[in-house]
Amino acid sequence: MRIKYFATFRELTRENSYQLDDHLPDVASLLEVLSDRYGTAFRDAVFDQGAMSPVMILLVNGRNVRLTGGLATPLAAQDEVSVFPMVAGG
Amino acid sequence: MNGWIGTTLRVDLGSGTIKREATNMTVAHEYIGARGMGVKIISDEVDPKADALGPDNKLVFAPGPFTGTFAPSGGRYNVITKSPLNGTIAASNSGGVFGPELKFAGYDALIVEGQSATPVYLWIKNDKVEIRDASAVWGMTVADTTEALRADTDHEAKVACIGPPGENLSLISAIMNEMHRAAGRTGVGAVMGSKKLKAIAVVGTGAVRVAEPAAFKAAVMDSCEKIAANPVGGAGLKAYGTNVLVNILNQTGGLPTRNFQEAVFEDADMIGGETLAANQLVRPKGCFSCIISCGRVTKVTNPLYAGIGEGPEYESAWGFGADSGINNLDAILKANFLCNDYGLDTISMGATIACAMELYELGYLTQEDTDGLELVWGNAHAMVELVRKTCVGEGFGKRLAEGSYRLADSVGHPELSMTVKKQEMPAYDPRAIQGIGLNYATSNRGGCHVRGYTIAHEVLGQGPPTDPGAVEGKAGLDVAFQDLTAALDSSGACVFVTFGIGAAELANMLSTLTGFPYSPEEFVKAGARVWNLERLWNLSNGFTTADDTLPKRLLTEPIPSGPAKGQVSRLAEMLPEYYSVRGWDENGVPTPAKLAELSL
Amino acid sequence: MSKMLMIYPNKCTGCRNCELACSFEKEESFRPGASRIRTLTWEREGFSVPLMCQQCDDAACVTVCPTAAMHYGPEGSNLVELTADLCIGCKLCVIACPFGSVRYDSVTKSISKCDTCAGAPKCVEMCPNGALEFVDDAAQTRAREQAVADKFKTIFEDVR
Repeated sequence: MRIKYFATFRELTRENSYQLDDHLPDVASLLEVLSDRYGTAFRDAVFDQGAMSPVMILLVNGRNVRLTGGLATPLAAQDEVSVFPMVAGG
Repeated sequence: MNGWIGTTLRVDLGSGTIKREATNMTVAHEYIGARGMGVKIISDEVDPKADALGPDNKLVFAPGPFTGTFAPSGGRYNVITKSPLNGTIAASNSGGVFGPELKFAGYDALIVEGQSATPVYLWIKNDKVEIRDASAVWGMTVADTTEALRADTDHEAKVACIGPPGENLSLISAIMNEMHRAAGRTGVGAVMGSKKLKAIAVVGTGAVRVAEPAAFKAAVMDSCEKIAANPVGGAGLKAYGTNVLVNILNQTGGLPTRNFQEAVFEDADMIGGETLAANQLVRPKGCFSCIISCGRVTKVTNPLYAGIGEGPEYESAWGFGADSGINNLDAILKANFLCNDYGLDTISMGATIACAMELYELGYLTQEDTDGLELVWGNAHAMVELVRKTCVGEGFGKRLAEGSYRLADSVGHPELSMTVKKQEMPAYDPRAIQGIGLNYATSNRGGCHVRGYTIAHEVLGQGPPTDPGAVEGKAGLDVAFQDLTAALDSSGACVFVTFGIGAAELANMLSTLTGFPYSPEEFVKAGARVWNLERLWNLSNGFTTADDTLPKRLLTEPIPSGPAKGQVSRLAEMLPEYYSVRGWDENGVPTPAKLAELSL
Repeated sequence: MSKMLMIYPNKCTGCRNCELACSFEKEESFRPGASRIRTLTWEREGFSVPLMCQQCDDAACVTVCPTAAMHYGPEGSNLVELTADLCIGCKLCVIACPFGSVRYDSVTKSISKCDTCAGAPKCVEMCPNGALEFVDDAAQTRAREQAVADKFKTIFEDVR
């Protein structure tokens, strides 16, 4: 599974992307694992009191997880995940 | 009078007459100002069949009631005219300071009529208006014109002007103000050039008054707070500018690449906002009264493409970048600086080059046509050279200056021009994002995204979860966006305030400013009125439902790869419902009942 | 403890909301000529600087005023004040001010200069970019020192 970071998430993680070899069942567990890796600032950016942060856009294979069950969205081993803050229009 | 000024300036460049008239306040109330007021003036005074580059077309410069106040990001103005690119009634929107200065000079609108025999410029200082000889600046770039005219008028003058492309009637030329802001689309620069009007210099020392000062200030502070709290309007746009969209659209699988052949670009990250912020960004910039500051002051030190200026916006980075398969951000910036300094629409310029590249790839254009340049995908050097040629009107640049539709048509393949109503579509692939495709097809000035920016919901996570690939609900979504945007464009506010506020806040600010009561419903209804009036004018000029369409590629060729692989635009499933929601018949003609409802 | 108006031109985007806030506060309308703060912009390079009265301790405008209309505020106020009733409009203060921050407003026919809005400056309230700050003089340079110190911290953190 490949996780790609954009905009402010690049500053938070100090990476552009991360290759994860473990298979995680869903978005919730993925964000937990990533929060452990990157620390509190990252955790605060992706979670909001246990729910998914409303100011983050998370895509799995290009689809916004808000359309596929949010934190419960299932993940497969070859999935590509993109993480954005809600940043722009134009 | 509050919000509005009550005076409209009318200048006839043929006879040289200058008239100050009372603004029609019934029109002001019903159409608000800016886009709406200009559309009403053109609708009343210009025959839809008039030659857009002839003496009977008019050019209206109109700020809105918010313009010149501290309504957040409320300092915009519009240029409204009949478009020479496609014959639609075109309203082109710009920021900067020119609009507010027109208000301080004492005008709700400036109407330019007729044509001058020789190059002239307008010098407006409050109620003193002169038509002056512009032969000394004819042929100059935008920045040089601005500084030369300031020397001859007032050091503080705000200048709106055209460059050589507008003078040479390029159908994709823009009107620039404060050097870097553009009334970019639909060839408005050519109308100004056809009137031999090089520039307008304005100084205003008057005031914009307020009906209910305390209530207006409270409404403004409330709106400012909401925009600041919105992640896009608050911090996001200021930190990254619009160009951060490159990666978002690419990851969604909807970034048009190589003339819309594909929808993912392998080098997207090299031209996106993150890279711009790291390499070329100097600082953010804001227009008059702006609290968002999405503007980018940028600099390139690479001697091949050196320069300093503003931009690129997402659209410009896309047009000179992904759409042409180019990954060199320095080259993209250079192209953008050139377009600003000569006055060209960066969307249409970039998309026209992309079209030329596909025509070259297929052998419909050869090196003989292209002055020896190899228009292969990704050739950044050739792209910049083509922009330069278009700016100065040299060789192949003269053909590019007519836009992609006429270029592709001239070699017998208009279907390879990615346009709607002959205007180049912006940077979102309708096959991946259904709602924006409907907007492109139905926009009253041709391919345009800002008229109904459904992307905010379909991709950017604003509003309820909205599936970009679905067609259900898109007709209603488009109409809602289009009407609110039309009202907002008519008020003088920047569309980016919608990242934070909506009709309720806008109507409240407008009512307390002007003293004329607008409910949120009436505010949006004014937008619907503007939209329908634009539609009627276009229909009178011969546009039909057949023109509410998309290029064949988007309707029939599935996206070959990426997250939206296999999708096409399902416009046919959305258009009938769109007409129905609009209250139009099955041919897209507003019904008598609808017109009565809008007092049209 | 007295306060001072600090400016940070590197944060200024040239939006001129400060001018609008000042004009609105003084006249309840929007007329940049009424503003006591002015933003100067270099268009080619996109750089802007806000300027207003520096409330000098040894003020040229106070020195030249023939009627003492221009005078120092109360002890510790850090202010140069204008008593409009005493002003004869001779404009010597306009000529004397080395910053160009005292102006003659030809619309209201009066001298205009910043008075910090009785301690709650509206330009500071309205600035969306933090380019203006009304700060205790003990903390006057804190923001600048902090910005520089932050850079040092980043450099040295990356070096092990």
